[in-house]
Amino acid sequence: MKSKLSAVGRRMALLVSLLAATMASAQTELHPDSIRIDPRLLDMVVITATRTPKLIMDVPVVTRVITEHDMQTADATTIQDLLEVELPGIEFTYSMNQQVNLNMQGFGGNSVLFLVDGERLAGETLDNVDYSRLGLDGVGRIEIVKGAASSLYGSNAVGGVVNLISRTSTEPWTLNLGTRWGSFGDRRHTASLSFNAGRMNSLTNLQLTHADAIHLSDSSDMMNIYASRTVSAKERLIFRASDRLKLTARAGYFFRERESSSVAYDRYRDFAGGLKADYRFGDRSDLMVSYAFDQYDKSDYTLASHLDVRDYSNVQHTLRSLYNLAFSQVGTLTVGGDLMRDYLMTYQFDDGGSHTQYTADAFAQWDWEITSRMSLVAALRYDYYSEAAASHLAPKLNFMYKLPQVTLRAGYANGFRAPTLKEMYMRFDMASIFWIYGNPNLRPEVSDNLNLSAEWSKGQYSATVMGFYNHVQNRITTLWNQALGGMVYTNMAPVSIAGADLSLAARWDCGLGARLSYIYTHESLDEDGMRSSTTRPNTATLRLDYRRSWRWGESTLALNGRLLSAVTCDEYASLSDPSQVEERTYPGYTLWRLTLCHRFKRGITLTATIDNLFDYRPEYYYSNSPATPGRTFAAGLSIDIEKLVK
Amino acid sequence: MNLKPLMLLPALLALASCDGLFGGLYDEPAKGSPMGFIERDADGRGGTIYIDARSYTRWTYLDLHTRSTDTASIPLGQPEPHAWDLALHRYDVKTRSGAATVVAAKYVGELTSLPDTAGLAFTADADSQVVIDMSTMMEGYLGYAPSKVNPVLSRWLDVNTAEMPPIYTLSGDVYLLRLADGSCAALQFTGYANEAAVKGYVTIRYRYPL
Repeated sequence: MKSKLSAVGRRMALLVSLLAATMASAQTELHPDSIRIDPRLLDMVVITATRTPKLIMDVPVVTRVITEHDMQTADATTIQDLLEVELPGIEFTYSMNQQVNLNMQGFGGNSVLFLVDGERLAGETLDNVDYSRLGLDGVGRIEIVKGAASSLYGSNAVGGVVNLISRTSTEPWTLNLGTRWGSFGDRRHTASLSFNAGRMNSLTNLQLTHADAIHLSDSSDMMNIYASRTVSAKERLIFRASDRLKLTARAGYFFRERESSSVAYDRYRDFAGGLKADYRFGDRSDLMVSYAFDQYDKSDYTLASHLDVRDYSNVQHTLRSLYNLAFSQVGTLTVGGDLMRDYLMTYQFDDGGSHTQYTADAFAQWDWEITSRMSLVAALRYDYYSEAAASHLAPKLNFMYKLPQVTLRAGYANGFRAPTLKEMYMRFDMASIFWIYGNPNLRPEVSDNLNLSAEWSKGQYSATVMGFYNHVQNRITTLWNQALGGMVYTNMAPVSIAGADLSLAARWDCGLGARLSYIYTHESLDEDGMRSSTTRPNTATLRLDYRRSWRWGESTLALNGRLLSAVTCDEYASLSDPSQVEERTYPGYTLWRLTLCHRFKRGITLTATIDNLFDYRPEYYYSNSPATPGRTFAAGLSIDIEKLVK
Repeated sequence: MNLKPLMLLPALLALASCDGLFGGLYDEPAKGSPMGFIERDADGRGGTIYIDARSYTRWTYLDLHTRSTDTASIPLGQPEPHAWDLALHRYDVKTRSGAATVVAAKYVGELTSLPDTAGLAFTADADSQVVIDMSTMMEGYLGYAPSKVNPVLSRWLDVNTAEMPPIYTLSGDVYLLRLADGSCAALQFTGYANEAAVKGYVTIRYRYPL
């Protein structure tokens, strides 16, 4: 018994030290060696699944981590580029007006919660946040938790949570300058400056991107890609007022412009800021209090008049608190709550008007390490939405059992998504063709998620297999209303999404590494039997890489492949007559990216990439075809100035 | 350490900017922009026309002689005005017993006098139809009304609906319009949207008489 308690005590001490190191900003430097030694990064600390820092091997929810090294070798600029390379079962396509649309294992953009250091993002277009806001400059790692997580994160955490976590440097100062030039005017320029001065830590990131217009086809659903450019600037200051108190302030600005017509350009801006205080009462408890501001605007810039007129603004103020109390022999209690004011002004409301919604929630989680092999996490959260007059209670229960080399996990989680202000109050004339009407009587989407997984690891090999089942009720969509002669937001019949997820990884001493991830997804409406899902049933990603150290640095050659099967579905041939249905098959495809990355010892990194290696071009560009013009090339240079001048 | 001011900061920020910040970055939409013959060249023989042609159920008539505009509802069967020279319905153009052709000029201002019309083929209006009801589009058909349309002038804007949203391309051509009384006007359509990028507002540069 004594040895057991000692083990628990040591684990608690480790946890507390991890907590102290990562509690506030959830940032952890990953030693490059850990990548080489263990393909599953078992010694890594993650935070998203439980909102407390835990070793990834101790988290009872499968968490996928994309490291900074992964981002570099994937040669990705935004989260969209990266996730498509790293994860199967995820597809970013274009919906109307070239707005990006996410499908992650049957869940759309409004059912997958994207966070930046745990904070939500304001603004959406056609149910998706602006993914181009999520640049990877300054990001230390990305944690992905699939399945419902509303018991911790509330609305929108139905299909999963993607959390981008900023890096924190411990060096006295760092300055990285980067540039990347690719086909079709694809350019990315970055600058990142960090320093530690006494109790102060600062991180500043600047990023500029540009892409020319691309002509894809003369006759397709999608013939051109608009030219675009972005500007992003972020600053984060950490002040360690004492050993117990850490204060964090952050501010960010984002601008995107796309040349969507010959008379006007679409512009998107975001202003974000926040203050956070983390206080550690002792070895066992800590408190976080924060305020977050996020404003996402859309405007039209008219070329003839040079007027830049705003027609959309979503402003979110969030107050948050989170308290952790560790019981040395029992577990960890986490309690917290949020208050949010959500303001939305949009051209899609009557006379470009506005609506405001207040939300409040409280949650508690009990993380119980029953034995050294067995643990259990239970959580419950209550949310209230003022305009929707909706409340929801979201529970979850996760169980983990460790055997030698094998870890078993099982869980139930409830997810929900509250009707948005747009879905409740829209009144929009769609080009004089039809109207789209909001519905104040919508019920929240509710899902039940079950998952079961087994994780095996031995030496340099690892494998994970997971089965999942989701039952989603009251999913919100638009349906034709004959009486109104328009589309109306409506709760639809229940949907079931089930499947299996397999991941295999290996790394050999010779420098070779391989990872194969495969997902089978089956989505079906419970009632009418219509195949309405455009989710591709079979998807996989494959990564082969070879790393070699030289006298003058280290090289990595990586081949990343995406394999997506065809999907056949039934589509309405007439919007107003549901009896008219036609079958449509969207072809499968594979895309491959070859990246050569060489790091010189003096902080200079050269990257060369061939994207779409085998020059795949769809015969016809459907909205869910990959918007690729064929094979493209890119070359990048990154310089760590502090290493160069040493 | 006195943390009270710091703790008040979030509340102050929240109160100060509930509905957002940086409104000053943006312009106000132009309200009440003048419509019709809005600008006149110094020599009095040309200028700019700006009209709201958004309605599918209405023709907007332009009288180049008196520099005046008028409208008539199609479904209500309202009669044409007594005097007019050309008319627009969305991006459709018709003339009053006129005929039109494209001339070799980049800008309408290049035509300070009537060019040599020998060898130019003028095209008169032809029987056609215009869309007056888009609301049935999703059911697979549109509501039409019979109308004369000038096929040359109506090519001033190409609306490619093969992908959504449609791609709008101005021809940039300068047109010579021969009116019913034999006089000629030069026309160039230079815009199809207003300052807020709302489509259906048409801008025409013109010279009359040549």
